[in-house]
Amino acid sequence: MSVPAEHFATAEDQRQAAELGMWVFLTTELMFFAPLFLGYAYNRWAYASAFAEASRHTDVVIGTVNTAILLTSSLFMALAVRATQLGHRRPTQVFLLVTATLGAIFLGLKGLEYAHEWDEHLVPWLDFRFAPGNAHGAALFYYLYFGMTGLHATHLTIGIAMACVFAFRLRTQPAQHLRNQIETGALYWHFVDAIWVFLYPILYLVNRHG
Amino acid sequence: MAIPTVKALLSVWLGLLVLLGLTTASAYLDLGVGNGVANLVIAIIKVSLIALFYMHLRHATATVRLAAGAALLFLFFLAFLSFGDFLTRSRNSTPWRAPQTTSATGDTY
Repeated sequence: MSVPAEHFATAEDQRQAAELGMWVFLTTELMFFAPLFLGYAYNRWAYASAFAEASRHTDVVIGTVNTAILLTSSLFMALAVRATQLGHRRPTQVFLLVTATLGAIFLGLKGLEYAHEWDEHLVPWLDFRFAPGNAHGAALFYYLYFGMTGLHATHLTIGIAMACVFAFRLRTQPAQHLRNQIETGALYWHFVDAIWVFLYPILYLVNRHG
Repeated sequence: MAIPTVKALLSVWLGLLVLLGLTTASAYLDLGVGNGVANLVIAIIKVSLIALFYMHLRHATATVRLAAGAALLFLFFLAFLSFGDFLTRSRNSTPWRAPQTTSATGDTY
């Protein structure tokens, strides 16, 4: 463990302060995402049949594969934290880079999906076309879809950049020096993963049967 | 701070993938309202696994648990107060009417 900053009595105090700080930040992040979920809940109730129909147009294969990729990235992030705690520099670097790579694959597939949706005229405002009757509700679904997945992708991009910076800094610094940063960065990564765990069923799995 | 074993981390990951399989498979069965409920319950279990094991909430200090709990409390306020309004009012509002114009003397009301 590195020497604590002067206003902390011990390194453990500093670690706990960092952990608490990240949790408080994640609380505000939840408040940032929550209104989108609330808007979704209200509109799914108000436009039930349109939401069911609109959800069937999302790409469930890419959505499912991407969920598995993100869950796996969280495993590697947890392994990176474990390696940091044990002071193993090289494994930490490798796990962080695997995590970032999985995140990048997720974004690549997401881009592919956006391209499909563009081709199928599912982007609201930009030549949106949908079966009459459900068009208004479906447009609301796709506003929320692009808003939520777009905000999630922005967060994931920040997470990928963070993992790369940690891996780069580990070239010259021992794992112990970056322990607090990697632990709190991992909390952020897992949070972004957890948001997707909720996005997946509400965007891809409404009314898949029948 | 307890360092988790590789076995524990891998078990959680396997559990998450099994739950993902369950949620996807259940979506293809016609369960009526049960589809939405199953999706939500499975998502909550998955996030709990991530929070408890990957985010170390299981061994976290009381202060950290309180911060995490506060997030859920405010989430509850947001949903409860909003839906308390939306679900108890009619969606058919009064038809729009032209506002009354002010009188010629310029009096406002």
